[in-house]
Amino acid sequence: MAKVKLEHLTKIFGKHVKQALEMIDDRAPKTDILDKTGATVGVYDANLEVNEGEIFVIMGLSGSGKSTLIRLLNRLIEPTSGSIYLDGEDISKMDKKQLRDVRRKKMSMVFQNFGLFPQRTVMENTEYGLEVQGMPKAERREKAEIALKNANLWSFRDQYPSQLSGGMQQRVGLARALANNPEILLMDEAFSALDPLIRRDMQDELIELQAKQGQTIIFISHDLNEALRIGDRIAIMKDGAIVQIGTGEDILTNPADDYVRAFTEDIDRSKVLTAENIMVPPLTTNVDNDGPNVALKKMRTEEVSGLVAVDRERHFKGFLSGENALKSRQENVPLSSVLTEMSTVHKDTLLSDIVTMIYDSPAPLAVVDDDNRLVGVLIRGRVLEALADNTDMEGEE
Amino acid sequence: MITFEKMPLAEWVQSIVDWMTSNWASMFSAIQSSGQKGMDALTHLLTSVPPVLLIVVLTIYAILVSGKKWGFPVITFLGLLLLWNQGLWNDLMQTTTLVLVSSIVSIIIGIPLGIWMSKSDRVSKIVQPILDFMQTMPGFVYLIPAVAFFGIGVVPGVFASLIFSLPPTVRFTNLGIRQVPTELEEAADSYGSTPWQKLIKVELPVAKPSILAGVNQTIMLALSMVVIASMVGAPGLGQGVLSALQHADVGNGFVNGLGLVILAIIIDRFTEYLNVDPIEKVNNQTTGKYKNWKKWVGWLATLALIGGTGYAAVQAHEKEQASINLVYVEWDSEVASSNVLAESMREHGYNVKLTPLDNAVMWQSIAQGQADASVSAWLPNTHKAQYDKYRKQIDFLGPNLKGAHLGLVVPKYMDDVNSIEDLNGQADKTITGIEPGAGVTSAAEKTVKDYGNLNGWKVQTSSTGAMTTTLEQAYKAKKDIIITGWSPHWMFQKYDLKYLKDPKGTMGESENITTMARKGLKDDKPDAYKVLKNFNWSSDDMEQVMLYIQDGQSPEDAAKKWIKDNPKKVDAWFE
Repeated sequence: MAKVKLEHLTKIFGKHVKQALEMIDDRAPKTDILDKTGATVGVYDANLEVNEGEIFVIMGLSGSGKSTLIRLLNRLIEPTSGSIYLDGEDISKMDKKQLRDVRRKKMSMVFQNFGLFPQRTVMENTEYGLEVQGMPKAERREKAEIALKNANLWSFRDQYPSQLSGGMQQRVGLARALANNPEILLMDEAFSALDPLIRRDMQDELIELQAKQGQTIIFISHDLNEALRIGDRIAIMKDGAIVQIGTGEDILTNPADDYVRAFTEDIDRSKVLTAENIMVPPLTTNVDNDGPNVALKKMRTEEVSGLVAVDRERHFKGFLSGENALKSRQENVPLSSVLTEMSTVHKDTLLSDIVTMIYDSPAPLAVVDDDNRLVGVLIRGRVLEALADNTDMEGEE
Repeated sequence: MITFEKMPLAEWVQSIVDWMTSNWASMFSAIQSSGQKGMDALTHLLTSVPPVLLIVVLTIYAILVSGKKWGFPVITFLGLLLLWNQGLWNDLMQTTTLVLVSSIVSIIIGIPLGIWMSKSDRVSKIVQPILDFMQTMPGFVYLIPAVAFFGIGVVPGVFASLIFSLPPTVRFTNLGIRQVPTELEEAADSYGSTPWQKLIKVELPVAKPSILAGVNQTIMLALSMVVIASMVGAPGLGQGVLSALQHADVGNGFVNGLGLVILAIIIDRFTEYLNVDPIEKVNNQTTGKYKNWKKWVGWLATLALIGGTGYAAVQAHEKEQASINLVYVEWDSEVASSNVLAESMREHGYNVKLTPLDNAVMWQSIAQGQADASVSAWLPNTHKAQYDKYRKQIDFLGPNLKGAHLGLVVPKYMDDVNSIEDLNGQADKTITGIEPGAGVTSAAEKTVKDYGNLNGWKVQTSSTGAMTTTLEQAYKAKKDIIITGWSPHWMFQKYDLKYLKDPKGTMGESENITTMARKGLKDDKPDAYKVLKNFNWSSDDMEQVMLYIQDGQSPEDAAKKWIKDNPKKVDAWFE
């Protein structure tokens, strides 16, 4: 049996709800309903099943109704019609007290802007869910302690949210949700407010956590890469309706309609691609200034094994590998003397010409302009992607 | 031409208030008496603390809340010391009581109302315009029903300042809760909080800064109402300001005003320090040892305060004396007579309470039995309007000063004017008058109507003090001026003035100042009644006292001096 099951779930905002519902039964499009009745359809006859222990991602552009959908699940927004089954029980028919019990015991939510209470410390935030259940202080402190230690936040327990970075705040939000030991985690664009690097860390943590504890996670996102990274299955929403549900692979290879296809790609193939279109920003070292230690430090922070060498005016000089940088440090010679060759292409070179070069070269290619200034690098993955007309995956070499 | 009848709006309001006054009398008087008792007790408690102790303890609190900043404790210490030195300590405590009580009641009513508003759009729609009305209506207006409901004293003052100062607390509470971010509301809901838990644990704490800002505004508005409320007998610094205005006494007005400023600063700072961001608190936290020390000092200071108060209260526990509540108008003549009578009665063991009021309020308070007596009724002319209105509800004990006179007065250098009929456009066709409610003002207005040559003249109302100041300036500049004058008054000693002849007699013949008492005083307090009945003296006596005061003595000292010089006259009152 599915853990969570939605049947004909609909939410209509505004007036003339009845009329709008009838129009939905007749499968009238959302815009017609708005023109005719003035009612806005938030969620349009959604049906889906989420299995136990699955990370289920709901995607869509802003305004597609995904945030409304997740709030219908724990009835922060009351559904207009339809049913929400949790372990076979219909949440939409529950009275206030039963609903409170479900919220306290079974479902916890994590918010886009963290939703932390500013006047409570990290500890007090984490134990909030247990506190409202009336759990004795000692017991709830114990549980909150475990959650905080798992999130590496124990030393910050007496700080206030505004004293923490975004990533830490969201870890507190997650710890607060997990302290309740819920069966289902609802995450509403939980990582959207974080910067990309932290976002990726958080995604990894979430995957790890799910592997350990096996909660069912319903995750809202507008970022396809995020969905592909963490989602077991993905649902794509448009205008309040769910247009496709499937694994990431399914959605990339068999998009249900043009909307999904457009959604899953962001490369404009109408123009002929050149090196400039598909290069990525280079990681450089300025050999006029940098010594081996600086170069090595850069490699460590950027997690790469080599850097493109340039001079003060960003003219291309060659390639500096990690080994050579080490050599320069041990032998105490300048970096410019240990550079190796690296193939270059002009920024206006066409994709078709690049393909042949990149096959021959294991290393990335440097992209230069007319003055031999470095403007970017070409990595294999990006080139293949561009050829395959596939989606824009982040370069992760 | 369509003519509209004038709507009898004033009559309607009057009849509503009359209906309330007569039908809810028992409730009003219960509130009045219990409120009065409670506030008297609080004031008594505050005044029984030795001032030095209170100043020191407040300064310690100021040091504890303000951390490493020295400005606030220094202002607290020096400001309070100055007020004590100026002899305003009791007034300050009276004002503090009034402000504290109206603020606390505001909070008790305002915060729940604000919460209710924030939870219901309908309530909000209904309450908003009422709040706007409450805040824009001049504070004076609330005094009128306040006196009708609660008589005179501190309770109507609290009532009026409550209505006037309540809106900010309600508004800011409503606003603060409505501005709690949706995400926090959702977070609270999604963890299964009950509405009550959500309010207590999330909404109120998040809205706290905004609510406290509202409370702070409320306190400041209550402070500003203190001065206005003193017109209906609310004691304290406001009375000093008001009487300074009526005597054009710049110095005392400034000192009393300064008292209010110091009090306002202290209250404002304390409420501001209550409103500290928790993070600031964490950042300001010093080592545990120091924090404990702070706690100890705070507790010790509080203990000292309680101990000192208890000790002082025990010391000050006196027998209840026969007390009498005298009311008067802040005219120089009445200040003299009321103070002389009060001082002489005090010397004979009476506990006399003197309350200055606006004229109309004074009459009303005696008619309704909220005050015992007054020696300030000018009859038959000056107070004719009040006499006609209340004569059935008041016991008149006869004149205490014969031959009082009122009329239009000009400086002697205005040679060509000797009678009202001679007036033809002098002094910008203006008669400089006193308070709008005063009898002499209505007499002057009648005069302007009855004399054909005064067509187009106006009576410029102000206050007694403002009138004498204007007179002084005109006199020095040898300018024309016509004033509503009366004797006995010190101005006839100070300047060369003359009464204008009044052939039509509209300003009244020679008058008597009469003593009046509430019905039933004769049975309740026969001794005091007898003294009141015996009280009488002459114009010369009164002008003497008035001159002492004019030369800078306090009314009490002037009265004591006169009593000492005239023992025979005084003894005759107490036979």
